[in-house]
Amino acid sequence: MGMPDAGRVEGRGARGVLRFLGLVALGGVIGGLAALAAVGFVAAVVWLNDLLLISPRGRMMFAHPEWLALATVLVPSLGGLIVGQLHRAIPEGRPHTPTDAIAAVQTRRGRLPSRAGSLSALSGLVSLGAGASVGQYGPLVHMGASLGSAGARLLRLGRSDDNITIACGVAAAIATAFNAPLAGIVFAHEVVLRHYALRAFAPVAAAALVGHVIAAQVLERGALFHVVDPAIPRPWEFAAFLAIGGLGALVAGGYMHAILGVGRLASRLPLAAPLRPALAGALLGVTALWVPDILGMGQETLRFATIAGAFGSVELATVMGLKLAATALCLGMGFGGGVFSPALVIGTLFGALCGTLVGMAGGAQDTFVFYAICGMVAVTAPVIGAPLTSLLIVFELTGSYALTTAALASVTLASPIAAQLFGRSLFDIQLTSRGLDLSSGRSRAVLEDARLAELLSDEGVTLAPELSINAAIHALGQAGHGEAYLVDGAGRYRGSLTLADLAVMQEDGRGEATLAECPTTPRPVLGPEASIWSAMRRLQEVTGEAIAIVDEQDRFLGVVFEASIARAFLRYSDELRREEHGTG
Amino acid sequence: MARVERGRGWRALLLALALGAGVPGMLEAEPLATPAAESLTVLSWGGAYERAQRRALFAPFSEASGLAVTVERYNGGLAALRRAVQAGSVPWDVIDMTRSEAMAACQEGLLEPLPEDLAAPAPDGTPAGRDFLEGAFGACSLTHSVFATVVAYRTDAFPGRRPTEIADLFDQRRFPGPRALQRTPSVNLEWALLAYDVPREELYRLLSTRRGLSLALARLASLENLRWWEAGNTPVEWLVDGEVTMASGYNGRFFDAMVNRDAPIAILWDGQVQEHEVWAIPRHAAHPEAARRFIRFATATERQAALTRHIPYGPSRHSATERITTHADSGVDMRLHIPTHPLNARGAVTKDEGWYAQTHARIGELFRGALLAEEPLPDAP
Repeated sequence: MGMPDAGRVEGRGARGVLRFLGLVALGGVIGGLAALAAVGFVAAVVWLNDLLLISPRGRMMFAHPEWLALATVLVPSLGGLIVGQLHRAIPEGRPHTPTDAIAAVQTRRGRLPSRAGSLSALSGLVSLGAGASVGQYGPLVHMGASLGSAGARLLRLGRSDDNITIACGVAAAIATAFNAPLAGIVFAHEVVLRHYALRAFAPVAAAALVGHVIAAQVLERGALFHVVDPAIPRPWEFAAFLAIGGLGALVAGGYMHAILGVGRLASRLPLAAPLRPALAGALLGVTALWVPDILGMGQETLRFATIAGAFGSVELATVMGLKLAATALCLGMGFGGGVFSPALVIGTLFGALCGTLVGMAGGAQDTFVFYAICGMVAVTAPVIGAPLTSLLIVFELTGSYALTTAALASVTLASPIAAQLFGRSLFDIQLTSRGLDLSSGRSRAVLEDARLAELLSDEGVTLAPELSINAAIHALGQAGHGEAYLVDGAGRYRGSLTLADLAVMQEDGRGEATLAECPTTPRPVLGPEASIWSAMRRLQEVTGEAIAIVDEQDRFLGVVFEASIARAFLRYSDELRREEHGTG
Repeated sequence: MARVERGRGWRALLLALALGAGVPGMLEAEPLATPAAESLTVLSWGGAYERAQRRALFAPFSEASGLAVTVERYNGGLAALRRAVQAGSVPWDVIDMTRSEAMAACQEGLLEPLPEDLAAPAPDGTPAGRDFLEGAFGACSLTHSVFATVVAYRTDAFPGRRPTEIADLFDQRRFPGPRALQRTPSVNLEWALLAYDVPREELYRLLSTRRGLSLALARLASLENLRWWEAGNTPVEWLVDGEVTMASGYNGRFFDAMVNRDAPIAILWDGQVQEHEVWAIPRHAAHPEAARRFIRFATATERQAALTRHIPYGPSRHSATERITTHADSGVDMRLHIPTHPLNARGAVTKDEGWYAQTHARIGELFRGALLAEEPLPDAP
């Protein structure tokens, strides 16, 4: 373990420039791969939806109502069955999501597993193809991240570069899927990297750019929100947009907690985990017989929600509630897929509801689309924890400055309120429940993720309880340590002894007594899987040179010296500092 | 199938010989061709369109082949074809149809499959496969031109303003006066939904939902003083006579009225719905071999370009589009009147014929139920 050298700067000069340019080029390559994967994924979902009678177009072109009804129930159920079987092959028994990519980057662990990544992408594809009410951007983002990480692994790059390539894949996925390169770059920074470094920016930008170029070449689609010269909202309407932001934060909280709540309930169901998605699919299909709007990603519903008068207010509230429930059901019961697309639909329906109510109260209807977009941003930004990305998506997809400023008013209240009440994003809430708290920033996350086992040393002096005090003092003196650890014949840890304690006993003339009779100094012990963060907390309570590490059976494994914890802390901080503030 | 046709061909040949109407030119051109015909019957749409076809296609074909071309008229629809095929006696050899109806008819087995090498290569040798527009080759049909259904308006009806977008068709406050629309769901549904500012690319996806359909039908039902037309010339006459201020219709017919008759009307290109117009050969046609010869002749680059000198329909071949010049009679630059010209095509919608082929009956029923409740059932297509 080398000493951290705060003054050393790696890679300056011509070699550094070349290395950095190589990283940018790698970003472009990963961006291209992630973009092609995203294009293929989206096309496959569209094809499956048409084929399996999920998309309105596919349903409309199919002329047999009774078979259509049967398919509506059977397709999501069977899709759920397949998804359940796929998840059995993933170690965690659940699909990997952007949450896993965020955790890998925030803890500098990197190295996203390829097998679980591909299985998760397949699970997302089947889920979306079979009409589950889930999003497509989650699988796309995770697929991009996995590709990026695989690239870094292939080229044997370090963890910092692994993080950057993950961010490249993510940025390209978003840039391609939305055809919004700026949103892709900001999303990678805001949600995944969570810091801004020039070293990361250039490769990420290259990836997003390549993704954008590919999207513009390959995908011939209408903008997600196509708005023709909207009217300019009146000044008082900005107050309404702010209010929509506040209320939207509550809708977002309800949405996130519904997903988590169904997940908790599902774990208590007397139904094996691989069968749960099938049950969710069957329930979804039956409901969709009456309200087909809840099937799939709901792009048509999203579009209609931006049209004044397309829904009545009761209808808006009903479809919004059902879509929220359907998404919570699908994701909570284990379908693979993202949370973003349904949040777009729910948010737009919510905004449309607000717009309709304002209209009923005498407001004008020519600014209806503003309400819909404000609602959309107010719900999505808190869910993914990305206010800037949400704004940029609105800007890049509508090209309307007026709409973007209205969305800004809404997100101004939505994001902080939701962050205070619920957490920074659904990803962060999920990670906290998995034991990774990102609320105190990355340095804590890194230390929480680092295990004491890697600092374990066998240089600590272990003594048998039968040994005499005189012999113990001699042994300690020989080893040059001030502390020793009492380990019995079965290898169990029995306590810590300091040289000072032993010396007092010797002074008292009890040098021939055994160590078992000597009072031990109370010291905390930790397991090898404890984090460096928790060790640092413990060190505040005690003075001593090391912490004993024991396994679950109390067997002594070794010690971790205080000095090595301090060195590790400095090393991690230095790596973070270099990653986050380095220019190349 | 084939044997039946051959029998018919022989019978026709015998008849021709018995009548002494030998056709030397044709026999020279195809000395081995067994089935012969003294005339070819084409089913087309009448009006200015038919006049243009006569000058650019039928007359030159007769000259080249020695076959007389008889033209019969229809207003689209498959009912008559269906009856004729069922009866086993089809009076036409070639039908000029919209691609959507050709697709539906092909699925029903009302049309002959066309050979893949039917179309001639371009004059510079470019194979037909690369010279034609995408989607021009169907199993039973070959696209010969692209026409558009557009909205036209009287230029003197709205002093001081002109309609600029398709939503203006439904804005009877700013653009008052009676409207005329075709008595079919297609095009009308598209325009009604476009009036809600939905993107063109999403039209058919949105029309596939109950909500989209009911929004579109509601917008159509909101029109006051609406008259339905069926024959392609009717909206032109109504507009010229001032009976309506805005009407939908085929761009070629409006062009004819504007240029040849100096009528005070103009075309609103926004929202134009482009459709492929195809040649097809009905099952049990009396002279299928002559019909194929005609189609190859009429889709040649030179003939397609010649047709654009009479009527402003976009050729289906790139090589023909490059040869568009002026109107044969008036000298008007035809490029400005062709729907596929970039100036006009900005707000164009390409009709999703696959969608219509599958949904024809149900959409039609819905349309009639919502908008034509008091009128008698039209001839089912």
